[in-house]
Amino acid sequence: MSEPADTQLVPPSSVVLVSGGSRGLGLAIVTDLLDAGVRVAAFARTITSELEKLAAEHPDRVHVGSVDVTDLRAAQSFVREVEQRLGPIDGIVNNAAMGQDSLHAHTAADDIARIIETNLTAPLQLTRLVIRRMLAKGLRGRIVNITSICGQRGFPGLVAYSATKGGMDAATRSLARELGGRMLVNSVAPGFFASEMSAVLGPTQLDQIVRRTPTGHLTEPVEVTPVVRMLLREHTNINGQVIVVDGAAAI
Amino acid sequence: MHSLGCRLRRMNELSRAQIRDLMAQVLKNQDKELPADDAAQLREIGFRSLDFSELALRVEDETGEELNFDAPGLRRIATVGDVLDFLVELQHQ
Repeated sequence: MSEPADTQLVPPSSVVLVSGGSRGLGLAIVTDLLDAGVRVAAFARTITSELEKLAAEHPDRVHVGSVDVTDLRAAQSFVREVEQRLGPIDGIVNNAAMGQDSLHAHTAADDIARIIETNLTAPLQLTRLVIRRMLAKGLRGRIVNITSICGQRGFPGLVAYSATKGGMDAATRSLARELGGRMLVNSVAPGFFASEMSAVLGPTQLDQIVRRTPTGHLTEPVEVTPVVRMLLREHTNINGQVIVVDGAAAI
Repeated sequence: MHSLGCRLRRMNELSRAQIRDLMAQVLKNQDKELPADDAAQLREIGFRSLDFSELALRVEDETGEELNFDAPGLRRIATVGDVLDFLVELQHQ
């Protein structure tokens, strides 16, 4: 589809929805965006005390909710609440995901379906929900998909997980085209974290990755948050890209 | 209903000795021998993680029950005895 380019700039996001914002990278993203003065709506299956504390510290700029990302109806009502409290959403960070740590041959068929539902179907549906509202209001905005180095490189025990992350990277490119410059859509693909979901790799595998990483350490959430913030807030003309943050481990 | 299901599964369950026989077959196909000692190290006899997969699938074939499991449990396996314990235990889940 070749149409005249939309040359108007996409402004920095002012109200950002973060899925899976209660711990790990999601919580770090919420914290970082609040420090940058952004209004943030965060949801997760379970609200942690850390997220509650942030909500209490910034009552006028944070809205939190207990929502399972696979529950589209709950996500829908959360989005409505957010719009009433913080204003129209003009940024999304699709961060909620579940990990995997099982060889494909020994992963229950239901578990494969659940990983795909949580990591691929749910973020696509949430994105659809939010861009429909943005398009209807004539808003411009930014979308950041948190994916993984697994979308580009192979790791045992992460077959279904990798499929979902590669799927989101592919969706990022097509969505950037489809939204014709009204929204900037990018992926941020971290390498393995020492904590949280990187329980998915054993200590031996993690040691091996560290040895092969020029920067000599596993990725930390605070090394990823500035990239997410840049994609949401800066004028860069970066669109449809996957930005890998892994210290060149995969290079 | 539930207890019947359990009983049926128990009936199909393989004993430790039967699993040991299957493990010996997996190794024999690669011209390797399974030592009698349960304390034998897998690394030394050349029993690798995909061999473990093969063995688990052979147990599944015999019992007709899928055995699904996460990788962390697999990483703790170091000896022949660990393999047998893991698969005996897995059949109970």
